[in-house]
Amino acid sequence: MTRALILLRRRLVGSIFVLLIVIIGTFLLLEAAPGDAVDAYIVSTGGDAGMIELLRHRWGLDQSELTRLANYLWALLHLDLGHSVTFSRPIREIILERLPTTLILMGSATALSFGLGSALGIYAGAKPGSFRDRFLSIGSLALYAVPGFWLGLVLIVIFAVDLRWLPIGGIESLASDKTGLARAADIATHLVLPVSALGFIYLALYLRMMRAGMAEAWRQDFVLAARSRGLSRRRIVLAHVARNALLPLVTMLGLQSAQMLGGSVVIESVFAVPGLGRLAQEAVAGRDTPLLLGIILTSAVLVIVINLLVDVAYAFLDPRVGASEAGA
Amino acid sequence: MSGFTISRRTMLAGSAALLASTAMPVIGWAQTPKKGGRLVVAADSEPRNLNPAIVASNGVFFISSKVVETLAEASFDGKDGLQPRLALSWEGAADGLSVTFKLRDGVIWHDGKPFTSADVAFSALQIWKPLQNLGRTVFKDLAAIDTPDDLTAVFKFAKPTPFQLIRNALPALSSVVPKHVYETGKIEENPANNAPVGTGPFKFAEYKAGQYYRLAKNTDYWGKDEPWLDEIVYQVLPDRTSAAAALEAEEIQLAAFSAVPLADLDRISKVPGLKVITKGYEGLTYQLVVEINHRRKELADVKVRQAIAHAIDKDFVVKTVFLGYAATATGPVPKNDPQFYTADVPTYAFDVTKANALLDEAGYKKGPDGNRFSLKLLPAPYFNETKQFGDYLRQALAAVGIDAELVNNDSPAHIKAVYTDHAFDLAVGPPVFRGDPAISTTILVQSGIPDGVPFSNQGGYKNEELDALIAKASETLDTAARTELYKEFQKKVAADLPLINVAEWSFISVARDTVGNIANNPRWAVSNWADTYLES
Amino acid sequence: MSVLRRFLRTPEAIAGAIILAALFAMALSASLLFPGDPQAIAGPALLPPFQDWSLPLGTDRLGRDVLAELFHGSRTSLAVGLAAATAALVIGAIVGTLAGFAGGLVDEVLMRITDAFQTVPGFLLALAFVSVVGPSLGVVVMAIALGAWTGPARVARAEVLSIRERDYVAGARVIGMHPLEIAFREVLPNALPPVLALSSVIVAAAILTEAALSFLGLGDPNRVTWGGMIAEGRTVLRTAPFLSIIPGVALVLTVLGVYLAGEGVVETTAVRRSLS
Repeated sequence: MTRALILLRRRLVGSIFVLLIVIIGTFLLLEAAPGDAVDAYIVSTGGDAGMIELLRHRWGLDQSELTRLANYLWALLHLDLGHSVTFSRPIREIILERLPTTLILMGSATALSFGLGSALGIYAGAKPGSFRDRFLSIGSLALYAVPGFWLGLVLIVIFAVDLRWLPIGGIESLASDKTGLARAADIATHLVLPVSALGFIYLALYLRMMRAGMAEAWRQDFVLAARSRGLSRRRIVLAHVARNALLPLVTMLGLQSAQMLGGSVVIESVFAVPGLGRLAQEAVAGRDTPLLLGIILTSAVLVIVINLLVDVAYAFLDPRVGASEAGA
Repeated sequence: MSGFTISRRTMLAGSAALLASTAMPVIGWAQTPKKGGRLVVAADSEPRNLNPAIVASNGVFFISSKVVETLAEASFDGKDGLQPRLALSWEGAADGLSVTFKLRDGVIWHDGKPFTSADVAFSALQIWKPLQNLGRTVFKDLAAIDTPDDLTAVFKFAKPTPFQLIRNALPALSSVVPKHVYETGKIEENPANNAPVGTGPFKFAEYKAGQYYRLAKNTDYWGKDEPWLDEIVYQVLPDRTSAAAALEAEEIQLAAFSAVPLADLDRISKVPGLKVITKGYEGLTYQLVVEINHRRKELADVKVRQAIAHAIDKDFVVKTVFLGYAATATGPVPKNDPQFYTADVPTYAFDVTKANALLDEAGYKKGPDGNRFSLKLLPAPYFNETKQFGDYLRQALAAVGIDAELVNNDSPAHIKAVYTDHAFDLAVGPPVFRGDPAISTTILVQSGIPDGVPFSNQGGYKNEELDALIAKASETLDTAARTELYKEFQKKVAADLPLINVAEWSFISVARDTVGNIANNPRWAVSNWADTYLES
Repeated sequence: MSVLRRFLRTPEAIAGAIILAALFAMALSASLLFPGDPQAIAGPALLPPFQDWSLPLGTDRLGRDVLAELFHGSRTSLAVGLAAATAALVIGAIVGTLAGFAGGLVDEVLMRITDAFQTVPGFLLALAFVSVVGPSLGVVVMAIALGAWTGPARVARAEVLSIRERDYVAGARVIGMHPLEIAFREVLPNALPPVLALSSVIVAAAILTEAALSFLGLGDPNRVTWGGMIAEGRTVLRTAPFLSIIPGVALVLTVLGVYLAGEGVVETTAVRRSLS
């Protein structure tokens, strides 16, 4: 228990530095961009020199970069994420509105790729080198190699347009006044396609990792011992081989959480899902620096928390892991 | 194109016959619409500021024009191409110093307050003139507005202002917002900018970011029996391929502004239950233009510019990039403009030999690698077609020995590169023709515009003759004389080529057969949709 | 020779090797078979495949030869993949070696920076970076490398940590070699194999990231890439599906080939190392 606490404290202190690097890095990157929020705004409106000057002043873009960074950090100390000029709303509000959608999408997709991936990995790894092993690992690789947006579009054409089993996009039916269970079911039907598209891409990772881990475990002493004790093959596979192969997958879960958010940018755009990924793309396109900072900060905190949970879980699952190793 | 009114009528009569049930007598294109229903429309972007009095742009109008009305709307057959909305009549004084509007009686705002001339005066003086992207130019000399009674507004100008210009500006620039909502606090920060209040047939109901905008029927609308629809919902579909899928899946009923890619139209027109409509955008013509940086010494030579014009196969562009849904351009005013267009200008036929000869003449011989010189080409990223034309132009230039390197920027970077930093040699832009050259067209060639003004002459072009012509036209009050000056303007631009007009296009709508009264005015997609209906 | 034989023992590795060989052949022969600009307009637009034998795979929206684009695209796609992987591995190896070898504050700082990069979604970083600098092939490569170097850095560091206490490193210290020289001449080469094992994953991911960036309109318009072809073909997915399916199949095969061959190499070297 104390070990877990030490780990937690170390992690939290480290995280603050990490977040600071992330904020300053993102800020500098966006400041280096050609064109600012006003340039992005006038794309659709046009306007004369006076109007442009007026906008720059109103949005505080005529201040120096250092002043704005200092202002941002100062506000952040007070847990204020600032104000988005493109949405003309507080950023905290915008992000909180989108966060649940992204969490549901990413959570479901992770559950799908982790659950199905490890299950199929166990199935494949139970008989290393067999036809089903080869078929599954190559098949999942082929899915991994399909660009996500293309997979999404093909799914839409098949399941939404031709078969009409599922809606083409969005997170729920438009202005439908559904509540409670009906609404949950509605959201679930809308999520089937985007979750599949996102989940299937990452399926290969877990499947192949599970399979590799199992191939390794088969060679280990305790499996040989279990075999000599005459345990059934099914029992050996599930209780010994798979269980040992599962640990690295849990680590992978933490590492993948950031990548999945990146992948969801494209998927959210294809399926018109109003999540953080698409918001991030809009923030970049609109040169809305504070909004992008808010999103990256949120995702960074999310990733840090997930990894923390993974580490703590790991420390409990596997007594061999000490705080020092996990802290690296 | 001059016969578009007739062909439009034929088209509408045809679709009317198709739409109306067999038992119904069809007289002209009058139909008996059905009341009620929800129209779901695709929206590919989400404008944040929905106040059309501040942001006069098609993206905003697409949604807000149903909520906030203008003084007048464009019309196929009304006098001067206009039909009354909030104003019933408009009269310009002979000295060009005043315009009198008589306003509609019995109009009330969505919040129940009566609409009066004070609202018009407030909108014009406090918003259009100081804050609106287009109004800042057109209404720059507006000095005061007299309101002798609740239904009369007299615009007073400090300098003579052509009545023709004011008239032509009405459909896009004259959105009237309620004074009582905007008079307290800063106009730019008013919450009504995100949830507009107007007099239109629909009330703004809700906006769910990333999902939809919803407009609900205004039961107190001044139009008799209007609006027909109960609701309009704009579903946000950011990917350009999803609108077609959504139409086919019957999740939406209308995709305007070419939300369905042109290359998909042929297929989609054969899908039962869907119709492709090419009308209803005559007042919203976009122009495909090659912007030129005259600071480059090669491009400062008119022979080189003419050579580039000869190198472009405009018919190929119309046929391949626009799949026929466009017209070739001759000059800075589009062919479908009923007031100003003249075909009597120098033209540049597609002729590679001539282009090569002109370039040789200008002194830019082909080097050993077949290249004469290299250029940076920046296609605007806003439309698929501008990007595709960029790809084509690179090939067309290669054919005459000009090596063009494409630079692909996103929108803000493109705006900055072209209009502020002038970091381009050639750019492909889609300026909009807004019914009068003085609104947003002459600015494309006029000199003396400060850096950073988008969609203006930032190519360093300076032609005193043209500048004088533009200045003269801006203060010529007589309509015929003013029109004549703009014809002269077209000739001079086509001869000297400060920029090269390649094609003119407007948009395509795709709708389900059940949607009625589509495209019945030249700015239909951005008009108020009071008479649009859904068949059951 | 025996290494090669061992490599060729698994059918997956053979398949991978064949695919890669075909790919390199395509890339090398592109300008021989299709001289001139692959983006030149060669025929009528949207010609379906197998209609005209001078344009066997048909033409795209502007009438460009799909087969020529496919061949030239193999070059850029491979170049993007290899360059991004090389850049990521080089950055990762250097950062990892420095951190692992120096230890202390240097290690702490470098690892927090690595953490920071790992916390930000790689694709989001690439998206922002390309929007900021402007999409050209080099920038796309850099953007992908920025999001991919952290994995190699961690692996390199872990390896270096285990190597730096070995005898030959101590020996090098005794004879007075500069620490940096020890780090990069003695330690890094020995830490490299497991780092290189990541390369196939990075190459595959790089090719896919380039495709996704093209989808969002951030590709280099002067070069043909398969990702760009798929992204452009998607608008006519229903009318002319071949435009996105043909480069799509090529992309899938390539990523599979890279992966399978990479795994073959890892297995071969793993066996060799366990033997030695």
